[in-house]
Amino acid sequence: MKFSGNRFYIESYTKCANCGTLVYDDSPEDKARKVVADGATYCSQWCVDWAHEREARRAAAPKT
Amino acid sequence: MDFVTMNILESTMVSICREMGITLMKTSYSTIFNEALDFTCGLADLNGDMIAVADYCPAQIGGMPLLVKSCLKEIPASELEDGDVILHNDPYRGGLHTPEHTFFKPIFVSGELVGYAVAIGHIAEVGGMAPGGFCGEATEIFQEGLRVPPVKIKKRGEDNIEVWKLLLANVRTPRVNYGDLRALIAAVDLGEKGMRGVYEKYGLETVRRNVSDLLLYSERRMRAEIEALPDGIYPFSDIIESDGIDAERHYPIEVEVHVRGGEIVVDYTGSAPQAAGPINATLGVATSAAYNAVLHMTDASIPRNSGCFRPIRVVAPPGTIVNVDFPAPSVGGNTETHPRLVGAILGAMAPVAPDRVMAAEGATHCNFVFGGVDAETQEFFACYDLEGVGWGGRSFADGNDGVDSINGNCRITPVEVYETRFPWRIESLAFNVDSGGAGAHRGGLGYTKQMLCLNDVIVCSQMTDRHLFAPWGLAGGGEGGCGATLVQNAGRDDWRTMPEVYGKASTSRYSNVAIKRGDRVRLVTPGGGGYGDPAERSPEAVARDVREGYVSAAAAQRHYGYDEGGK
Repeated sequence: MKFSGNRFYIESYTKCANCGTLVYDDSPEDKARKVVADGATYCSQWCVDWAHEREARRAAAPKT
Repeated sequence: MDFVTMNILESTMVSICREMGITLMKTSYSTIFNEALDFTCGLADLNGDMIAVADYCPAQIGGMPLLVKSCLKEIPASELEDGDVILHNDPYRGGLHTPEHTFFKPIFVSGELVGYAVAIGHIAEVGGMAPGGFCGEATEIFQEGLRVPPVKIKKRGEDNIEVWKLLLANVRTPRVNYGDLRALIAAVDLGEKGMRGVYEKYGLETVRRNVSDLLLYSERRMRAEIEALPDGIYPFSDIIESDGIDAERHYPIEVEVHVRGGEIVVDYTGSAPQAAGPINATLGVATSAAYNAVLHMTDASIPRNSGCFRPIRVVAPPGTIVNVDFPAPSVGGNTETHPRLVGAILGAMAPVAPDRVMAAEGATHCNFVFGGVDAETQEFFACYDLEGVGWGGRSFADGNDGVDSINGNCRITPVEVYETRFPWRIESLAFNVDSGGAGAHRGGLGYTKQMLCLNDVIVCSQMTDRHLFAPWGLAGGGEGGCGATLVQNAGRDDWRTMPEVYGKASTSRYSNVAIKRGDRVRLVTPGGGGYGDPAERSPEAVARDVREGYVSAAAAQRHYGYDEGGK
């Protein structure tokens, strides 16, 4: 999705690749917390770690 | 903490919220407000954290913090002035679905912004492709009514006329909408006035300190409740039928509940990609469902505020059925997918918290919506009607019969009001015998409402669920009964489904069916699942069920070994 600088026609946020929280371009708080990892935007380091942990856990789980 | 002052302030703020709700109920025009009470009223602090709320619609309560915070990221607090009122209904910006309109008003004390009064209400008619706002066949947001990003509907106490004109030009019932929107504004006006009084009485610093303590108190109590649960990862799967577009495709919900000390993480990863039809939940809905599920399992006396939610994290991957991306539709996510998410979380926790969960409930608000031009008044009417379902049995009690699905907490509109306001005659309204799942504690019963059309044409749509997949039982309990929607056209004796009569893809989600004078519609709502082995149900309870008509003698014999002779 492309974003409009004037906020008239498209929202000025992206979604965290893990938890789906809105990460606003103009929010200083969001900017300070967000992390770009594995080619995706995450709202925080917690989400990067959670996604990695989940992936590892599910990969290790026996297939049913 | 000063517990005395904190408790007095908490009770005062909750009373203000309740009074806001009563104002809304008494001054609104639609049955969805003044009968069903499909709204909630609350107060927020400067950060958008909910500090008090009245006990109206829990689904909206859980969504409130995200709603206000999202708005404040687009209209910063620095741009707010005394007398402003913000309106917002955008599902992609923290909203729940297009009908859910959020109003909030900044509270200024001596020129300083101190917090917000908030009212969220379900507007019955929002434009879009079908009267009543629930288009069971919508494939994009633009068919679901007018989408309103955060805008000022009032500026410094004056109506923003341009916004009003846009709002009212895009709906079928502008007179009624005007009254309902005014009622929501009256609610936030009252909340603002009430909180100003609180600040004047106690002083700025006392209120701030005690509100901060109150949130901390709720957080600590919630963490203690969670810590009492055993650490672990608790998974559960469920499935949602169809999306109104493809009748053969069904949508899995996957939930993992992680309990880690005093925190809970609800991870929906693995749930289906977002659907083409309107069963997608928004981020606000997925978050609210998780919050409310935890509230259901914990001490009800913990003050309801954002402090309760601090120990809960929600992982709702974007582009899925639990976190819809623009421009996919989402109107049914709030009413249908929300209760299914809650049910899945309760199901996940059943092994470790068996006394705090219930078997599956009907999990649909039935959402029968309709509109048309009244033959007598020549005015357009529209109605959002919700119906009750059976709730699941619990380890200590049978399920409730015929009440609104979980976290709706709405009242069913009385038949007399329904007939007075809309051109239907309700010919019968009765519980469905045997619709409660068998169990040591039986599931609650669904019911059947039969209506006769008295207008030349009423255009009907529906977004319901549980026509295909029955509500599950727990701990050996049986399934509850499924729902159905049937039509009997004038001059015919047989009852048929929407696909059979109108060629619709789904029996449960459809749009714009023309019901004509003399046609009948029958809404059958699902029952709840049973809890525990039916063999453990007391013979007295079974005999009472048969005597009072909840269970037929044949079903009692089949499930419980009942002897019609009373032995």
